[in-house]
Amino acid sequence: MIVRREPWGAWVKLDSMAAVVAIDEQGARALGLGPLDPHAMARAGAPVEVHLAVTSRCGAGCEGCYVDARPDGLEPPLHVIERRLDALREAGVFTVAFGGGEPTTREDLDVLAEAARARDLTPVLTTSGLGLSEARADRLRGFAQVNVSYDGPGATYARVRGFDGAAAAEGAIERLTRAGVPVGVNVVLTRQSFPVLGDTIARARSLGAREAQLLRYKPAGRAATLDYLAARLSPEQARALAPTLRGLAKEHCGSGDFHIRIDCALVPFLSVDEALASRSEDLARLGVMGCEAAGALSAVTVDGRVAPCSFAPATGLSADDLATGRAADADLARWRGRPDASAEPCASCPIRAVCKGGCKVVAGFVDGELGPDPECPRVVAWRARPASAHDSRASPP
Amino acid sequence: MSGEVETHPTPRDDDHVLAVRVGHGANCSSVGSVVDTLFATAAVAAAVFAAVAGALASEPLRTRRSPSPTDAADDPAAPPRGEDDP
Repeated sequence: MIVRREPWGAWVKLDSMAAVVAIDEQGARALGLGPLDPHAMARAGAPVEVHLAVTSRCGAGCEGCYVDARPDGLEPPLHVIERRLDALREAGVFTVAFGGGEPTTREDLDVLAEAARARDLTPVLTTSGLGLSEARADRLRGFAQVNVSYDGPGATYARVRGFDGAAAAEGAIERLTRAGVPVGVNVVLTRQSFPVLGDTIARARSLGAREAQLLRYKPAGRAATLDYLAARLSPEQARALAPTLRGLAKEHCGSGDFHIRIDCALVPFLSVDEALASRSEDLARLGVMGCEAAGALSAVTVDGRVAPCSFAPATGLSADDLATGRAADADLARWRGRPDASAEPCASCPIRAVCKGGCKVVAGFVDGELGPDPECPRVVAWRARPASAHDSRASPP
Repeated sequence: MSGEVETHPTPRDDDHVLAVRVGHGANCSSVGSVVDTLFATAAVAAAVFAAVAGALASEPLRTRRSPSPTDAADDPAAPPRGEDDP
């Protein structure tokens, strides 16, 4: 296991199972770790996971691409990416998720996976799967997991992305599975894809996927337009997320060979599920993370700048300086902050310590400030209350 | 102290485990969390914690080279649970 000391205990990356564990101070000392020294203090609070853009090239042209990737995008040379991996290691990062653009436009991805592992970083990858041949799939065995973007079978995919890539994605899932690469799928939840989510997951699982990660559609890159408002989940769908997850888990996850993940931006939608909200401690202990932008998560753009997350604007901080400059960077500090927790509707929210105010990218786009997530059902209900209740400090329903 | 065996509390006791994030999270755009365990029986979650405790007790500890001394972080990340806003 690899350990990173923190003021509250330690982060532990296990070797024998795919897990990152947070232990308290007593647990850290039980592992034989000494007090936090100045060297470790410099790394405290660094991200455990970094999303590293290794190219901004992509020919898919997805309508909602969050980085506005294009066929003639940037592609840093290998030695530059290796230097960035050095910086992530130096900062104490555990997992590096290679993305883009379309990372498989690089011919040296297998070399990058090896380079990450040589630095004790766990490499994972996201791809559209377009053009992924058998031979290419074989060369991705160095990754701990590869996720294929798959928003739904048939026409659903096209409705979300603007082109028909479902067959290519399905072929990639099958080829990666045959190559022995652990495969997951990323499913973007939009108003169009949500109703067929059950079919999407069943199809992905039948092709060999071991995991489905559900992603909230976010207004960044080419999706930062008014069209976002029509594509995002409806308020009713947002409220239905938890019951939907419950049903999917019952159908697909009982045998333990398939898992369902939700992304940080979907966590606020769990707040209106009474059964989950009453178990906020379980959410925390089972590692559910809400907004961790500039906290446990950061991103590195293709030009080497640190961003709070992949959807947020890059700061002026170079990835090379992540270990030493992260704490003092004013932009990152602003994103680490949370909406005023003494104010409703977050104040009485049982999962606010996990949620951390919801998605700031959405809040910034819709409200123009990094406040409470305007699409969180609690926030929606709070803002819709009668004018006579606007001075009330009462909790939202 | 001679002859005494010094014992330590071990993280085997999962009271010391604040949070467990299972899996690799292979998405490159946002951080993901496994949620099916939330809907499973208590026995499933207990099995996860038991496996983690076993790994903590048995895996050798590897260290990475410490970075050069630098300006200390002024806002170390909040613990994964237990902290909250004022």
